[in-house]
Amino acid sequence: MLMDSNRIENLLSKYWNCETSLEEEQQLREYFKGGDIPEQWKETAALFRYFEENKKKTLNDVAFDAAIIQNVQPQKKGKLVKLFYNSMRIAAGIAVLVMAVWFVRKEVRDTTPQEVVDTYDDPQLAFEETKKALLMISKSFGTAENQAKKLNMFNEAQEEIQKKDKSKNSKL
Amino acid sequence: MNLESFQTRVLPVKNKLFRFALKFVGSEEEAKDVVQEVFIRVWNGREQMNEVQNWEAWCMRITRNLSLDRIRSINRKQTHPIEESFNVQHEALTPHESTEIHESMQRINQLIASLPEKQRQVIHLRDVEGYSYNEICEILELDMNQVKVNLFRARNAVREKLMKINAYGL
Repeated sequence: MLMDSNRIENLLSKYWNCETSLEEEQQLREYFKGGDIPEQWKETAALFRYFEENKKKTLNDVAFDAAIIQNVQPQKKGKLVKLFYNSMRIAAGIAVLVMAVWFVRKEVRDTTPQEVVDTYDDPQLAFEETKKALLMISKSFGTAENQAKKLNMFNEAQEEIQKKDKSKNSKL
Repeated sequence: MNLESFQTRVLPVKNKLFRFALKFVGSEEEAKDVVQEVFIRVWNGREQMNEVQNWEAWCMRITRNLSLDRIRSINRKQTHPIEESFNVQHEALTPHESTEIHESMQRINQLIASLPEKQRQVIHLRDVEGYSYNEICEILELDMNQVKVNLFRARNAVREKLMKINAYGL
């Protein structure tokens, strides 16, 4: 594409004043890419070529993309290992919990007195024994009652005296 | 965004990011590291990407920030011009012309490298990468006025020096 020098002159003055659009700047770059540049724009052409050349500079690394992908992607190979690792962590946690509960229970059992243990297998025997025990308690109660009756006699006597005292006082 | 769209949409901008990072850090190896980090960040923040209007400008901005971090952490100022070599091959040119062009490009390279950092960034984004003013605003986190002023100064500094070269053959 050949452009007349007037147009280029125009575009250039706009360019130096920062009034060119992106398309116009592209036109300038295209123009200065060509070989047939008038002497007065030799250095300007070099500037535009410099821009073009700069744009050609690329990240020279074929493995770059792959490295990035590997970096951002959760690795597929390690997935199973990771799963195993995670489940082991959970299992370890559970094991610790179970052990803790067991120890606490053991501790509680050791410190609190033993609960009543069923000592008889035969219900009949158990009944007899219970009856025996209850009878013994009942007998003791009976004895206690007899003793209490004796005490009661004192009470009655005291009440009698008090009554007599009262009647004596009222008479006086 | 899934891995596939990451691969087809995001990864292809690597060269732009690379060139931009190179403007800051100066060595290709470091620029590559920066771009790699940018992609990992972009991937990790991919949920956010739907809210970003222009994700390419977003990537460029991350590149700029990471590059600046890197420069700071190395505590090195990028004052030395980047040694770039240009492989100019135009069939229409004679070897003599080709050498001449190569030399003038080296001069331009030094000339642009000597510009203040902001001007260098703006001229790179506009004249090399062809970003719109709005995109440049977004990438550099500057307002329109600052972008235009910086571009104007950069272009005119370059122009003045070119004119000097033309006049005195320096």
